[in-house]
Amino acid sequence: MIFFKCSDVADKISDIIDERASVVARMRFHSHLMICANCRRYFEQFKRVKELAGKVSPDDLPEDFDHVMGFVMNEIDKKNV
Amino acid sequence: MQGDGVHQGSETDRVDALKAGTAAAWTQLLSHHGPSLLAYAIRMLGDRSTAEEIVQDSLVNIYHTIDRFDGRCSIKSWLYRAVHNNAIDEIRRRKRYVDVGHEAQEAYFDEAGRWINDCPGWDGLAPKQMDEKRLLGIVRQQMDRLPHAHREVLLLKEVEGFSGQEICDALDISPGNLRIRIHRARAALRAAVVEG
Ligand SMILES: [Zn+2]
Repeated sequence: MIFFKCSDVADKISDIIDERASVVARMRFHSHLMICANCRRYFEQFKRVKELAGKVSPDDLPEDFDHVMGFVMNEIDKKNV
Repeated sequence: MQGDGVHQGSETDRVDALKAGTAAAWTQLLSHHGPSLLAYAIRMLGDRSTAEEIVQDSLVNIYHTIDRFDGRCSIKSWLYRAVHNNAIDEIRRRKRYVDVGHEAQEAYFDEAGRWINDCPGWDGLAPKQMDEKRLLGIVRQQMDRLPHAHREVLLLKEVEGFSGQEICDALDISPGNLRIRIHRARAALRAAVVEG
């Protein structure tokens, strides 16, 4: 198989994003994108959603962990007594 | 990475201190991983009080069984595996587990592998098109609605930034399986965000 079909591109996107695809697969992937607006769009959306998913967390950690921490340390203290 | 005393030593030293029951080592472990573990449990379970109970019970159990830790994976993966397994048990017990459907992307393509319809688009996804904070809210909301099997790999991979090996250890899956699951989970999230 020399040329990637659109469905091949869709299958390979995560390997491309995670830099796991072979040089040949990368070439076939990007060659296809040059001639296919739908796959370009799909690839851009995929990358963007992945990037946004990675940004969801930082301000998202529970502020108050003391309650859980206190409970667990209490158990630990009990055993240590 | 960490500037504190306990985290400066090797993982073996830290595990030895934990097995010896050193309070400082446990405090360090809990303050380092605890908030992220709780965040993970909240995102999986959907409510904070159950998540707190799950994390508490998991950590106490880990404390009592730390002698069994054999170092075949990192202590971090071990902690997540415990919290994950307990969270999934609880979700299944409440019959709320959402399995992965067959929302495969093949539906987009014809037999020749071409798009049946144009790739559904949402221009608001483009950088600068929409306030990023609002976009993040949408992504987060859609992530929390995904089937648990998709959500867990995305939380560990994209949100927590785990390595492939750490995720395999935490979820007890093979690298090949992980690769497929990450791809399917991202595809499902893209579909949820872009297509609603
Ligand atoms: Zn295409």
